Amino acid sequence: TEIMNTRQQCKRIYSWVGRAKSSDQQLKTFQYRGISIKSERSLTEMCIQLGEFVLVEGENADQPFVAKLLKLYEDGSQEKHAVVQWFSRITELPLNKRKLLQREVSPQEIFLDKAPGYDTDINVETIIKNVKVIPLAPKEAVPVRSNRKQIFFVKESWDGKCFKPLSPGSLSELKEAEKNKRVGSPSPLTDCQTSDFICSLKAETDRVTRSTVKTKNVQMEIESRHSASKSSLSKERHSQRVANGINTPGARKKLQLNSMYTAILYPIQKMVSNINTSNTMQNLLLVFEGFDFSLQPEPRTPKTPRNATPRIPIRNQATEKPANVLEEARLRLHVSTIPGSLPCREEAFQDIYNFVESKLIDGTGGCMYISGVPGTGKTATVHEVIRCLQQAAENDELPSFQFIEINGMKLTDPHQAYVQILQLLTGQKVTATHAAELLAKLFSTPGPKRKTTVLIVDELDLLWTRKQDVMYNLFDWPTQKQAKLIILAIANTMDLPERIMMNRVASRLGLTRMSFQPYTYKQLQQIISSRLNHIKAFEEDAIQLVSRKVAALSGDARRCLDICRRSTEICEFSSQKSASGLVSMAHVMKAIDEMFSSPYINSIRNASLHEQMFLKAIIAEFRRSGLEEATVQQIYHQHVALCRIEGLQIPTVSEIMAICSRLGACRFLLLESNNKYLHVRVRLNISQDDVMYALKQE
Amino acid sequence: MSKRKSKETSSVNGECISQVQRILRERFCHQCPNGKLFGVQLQYKHLLELLKRTTIHGESNSALIIGPRGSGKTTLLNHVLKELMEIKQVRENLLQVHLNGLLQTNDKIALKEITRQLQMENVVGDKVFGSFAENLAFLLDALKKGDRDSSCPVLFILDEFDLFVHHKNQTLLYNLFDISQSAQTPVTVIGLTCRQDILELLEKRVKSRFSHRQIYLMNSFDFKQYLRIFKEQLYLPAEFLYKPFIQKWNKNVQSLSEDRTVQDLLQNHFHCSKDLRSLHMLLMLALSSITVSHPFMTGSDLLEASRLCRMDSKANIVHGLSVLEICLIIAMKHLNDVYEGEPFNFQMVYNEFQKFIQRKAHSMYNFEKPVVMKAFEHLLQLELIKPIEGLPVRAQREYLLMKLLLDNNQIMDALQVYPNCPTDVKQWATSSLSWL
Repeated sequence: TEIMNTRQQCKRIYSWVGRAKSSDQQLKTFQYRGISIKSERSLTEMCIQLGEFVLVEGENADQPFVAKLLKLYEDGSQEKHAVVQWFSRITELPLNKRKLLQREVSPQEIFLDKAPGYDTDINVETIIKNVKVIPLAPKEAVPVRSNRKQIFFVKESWDGKCFKPLSPGSLSELKEAEKNKRVGSPSPLTDCQTSDFICSLKAETDRVTRSTVKTKNVQMEIESRHSASKSSLSKERHSQRVANGINTPGARKKLQLNSMYTAILYPIQKMVSNINTSNTMQNLLLVFEGFDFSLQPEPRTPKTPRNATPRIPIRNQATEKPANVLEEARLRLHVSTIPGSLPCREEAFQDIYNFVESKLIDGTGGCMYISGVPGTGKTATVHEVIRCLQQAAENDELPSFQFIEINGMKLTDPHQAYVQILQLLTGQKVTATHAAELLAKLFSTPGPKRKTTVLIVDELDLLWTRKQDVMYNLFDWPTQKQAKLIILAIANTMDLPERIMMNRVASRLGLTRMSFQPYTYKQLQQIISSRLNHIKAFEEDAIQLVSRKVAALSGDARRCLDICRRSTEICEFSSQKSASGLVSMAHVMKAIDEMFSSPYINSIRNASLHEQMFLKAIIAEFRRSGLEEATVQQIYHQHVALCRIEGLQIPTVSEIMAICSRLGACRFLLLESNNKYLHVRVRLNISQDDVMYALKQE
Repeated sequence: MSKRKSKETSSVNGECISQVQRILRERFCHQCPNGKLFGVQLQYKHLLELLKRTTIHGESNSALIIGPRGSGKTTLLNHVLKELMEIKQVRENLLQVHLNGLLQTNDKIALKEITRQLQMENVVGDKVFGSFAENLAFLLDALKKGDRDSSCPVLFILDEFDLFVHHKNQTLLYNLFDISQSAQTPVTVIGLTCRQDILELLEKRVKSRFSHRQIYLMNSFDFKQYLRIFKEQLYLPAEFLYKPFIQKWNKNVQSLSEDRTVQDLLQNHFHCSKDLRSLHMLLMLALSSITVSHPFMTGSDLLEASRLCRMDSKANIVHGLSVLEICLIIAMKHLNDVYEGEPFNFQMVYNEFQKFIQRKAHSMYNFEKPVVMKAFEHLLQLELIKPIEGLPVRAQREYLLMKLLLDNNQIMDALQVYPNCPTDVKQWATSSLSWL
């Protein structure tokens, strides 16, 4: 929140420096040489000229983008624009490509970004300030200068596929830009002189943690140690604020060292005051800014594990490879095995692919709602689409995009969706409400370097809240022009939008819908065959039996694969192997029986004699009273009567209560849950016919 | 000489008897994996193969072990785990997480417990850091990063599985089953439950992700096998220290099992409940009568134990009541007969009691109303009568509606054994026309 607040408070005013250089009569555009940024509250003013490097507001407030200013112009509607050449930090590059570098990259190193697809035309108001970037020749190592976060080094370029050393042309161009600045500024302070100066300072500021210098009223601001952990940007903003509000009662406590430092700094101030362009001054300030006078922070009791990496221990011995055909088949039939292709969903695949592709090419956003009962391949198909799109993007057939995924079932609360989306997008960890604000800002403002985002929302119905704000926001973002957000929402009911969504949410979701039908038996058969991929483990009839059975029940592919897997086990351990050694009809039948037969009949037959008698007594009592409910006392009387007929020992009431609660625990009976003892009301949880059938066979 | 010898044997016996007690009690009370399993060979093999594949091949699975209480679900699992742990390759490659629905009553607690048992990096000592959402994300991340070939398989054991079903959204179950069906860290989820309708309780997405492997334990043995189990449970193991005693003891057990009365008794017990836990209870009670002077179990020990087991708890309370309280219960019984189980109040009972005193009683003293009220309230405290729910509690004590929690049979049985019951009271109880 600190960052947000300071940002809002420090409103900046942008104005052109110099006169319009050239203009285009038709388009009414005017070009300028420089821009001056004036902070509203402080009276700080900085002037940035073409060719300089700037920080540009990005998605992550802690890590603004770095760019080189190429062109400044004002268009017909009097909006100020800038054209930039982007540089990328290592964290902005795709994860899987970072390893191409094969070296450790310092956080200060940036890359000349030549990857296509970025918007190089930005709004001037997103420029924060200028920054120093030092080009290095390929052989030069990146100097290790701790804590000077505001100096960047560039050494290699990135074109979206691979890293290349800076071409001599661009290197010299960058160097030229750097040199121009130095030559242009008569400041005698070179980089090394500055640091020397600071070293001398350091000796005297042993117990002081931070210092900042401000342009207009050069002041030393010494803050106490506790601000040391804040991010550099917020620190800078903060110190700006403090520097300008020194007289306000809220100003921080300052050590009485001020005068001494002012004295030391005076000559510099004098030197600097001669300079018209505030460039070098700015650079100097940045050096001061970044320099940390602090001692190492005292070792705190390191209790809370920070940056704990989530992982499961590595196993000690390698897994065994499948030893025979059946084991191989079992491995391939496991639901977790990702098949090479998804048979029977080609049409759905194509539809989703086309939808996302067209949006990607247009650079717009949109929603698609995908429904279907569990186990019909919704998530698998969508993932396959993303995989293919990523492949295409890699081959430069499509603009590259960012892919993130959330799952309603994997959230503890619908609002956690914001947290996860933000973390996946930018890596920030914040609270749900803050995340919602940041995301809303992110998607509503034009992002200069923004790629299209493809977001999969699985188990959408779980994001339902009473106010439906999560769903509303999710579907509202893609409608905004700048968002470039494509949402694929997955759920298992077709009429979810009509059933649970308010009109305004359903309307934003739109009408692009697709429903996955349960698999037919032919499709299931095809799925099994394609998974087995010519391994001969099943008889043809066996596969057909499974498919027909599952298609008749639910059309759930998971069930189908599970039955097949179980059949291979039964086949492997059965005593009478079929002649071929393959899984036969009999094995499949047995597996299906195991999974789907009702356990009730069998367990009633295995219940003890008095338990069976009790069930009989219940039915007798139901018949007597004509109701479907009876108290234990009534049933007890029937039970006693039955025992007398059979000539059995009559159980005591305590025994009857025990029998009753045992049957209740297995849910043969439904019991009232209170301590009414004999007056507890009992119902059957199974049909009377089933009970009779189970008891008759004896 | 002979005297000294007998003294020696008896001192051996003292040590020996306490050993017997220790061994057998351990067998009856703990679900220890040392004992034998009865009639579950198929289920045993199924579960063993399943867990073996999890650890050795890294195959994910899910299964439910379903059976009535006392049918040996936990024992079966413990047996399987014990055998598995003897295989080196399994011992070194398996992580276990034990959860119980009675302890982990919501997903938040369950997640902390899982994280703690897996000793992940956000655990310091016994404390798990982070919020519920963070814990979930952390655990899912960890499991997602693993794969079949390199990660250590995790075995999740969910005791009282049916209670996890009631957690919000079934988040935990969904995630566990989802992991078991996707290419992540190999996990096997084993649920233990006594509910036969468990599959109907799973939400459809959760159900689809469950592999539908169900292992049923049914107590499917007949009386012959039950007798064998009885013997097996009592036999002393061959590694028992006092060798000569083993033979004598085991011989006695054998002869017990052939005894007619013992067989009848066991038959009755078997008819009532087949589960081994109740058999253990019976044997436990019989075992406690074993002493140095009475070193072998007899039929009468078992008979006594069985009597204790079968005892009716409410009728037991009636034995300790005063005559006045017995009279009140008889009055209530008559009221129940007349009004067909409709509730009564103190005033009605008192009137009925007065009628008895005035017309029939010869030995009974006419107590004053407050004394009778006191006796009535004592019955209320003993929970032999219970006020009807859903009525205003404000009503005067005399007119609160009550129900009797005893059955006529229980009252009559209790009166039969009630010591020194006056004859007129007994007659009043048996007469069906109470007002005469």
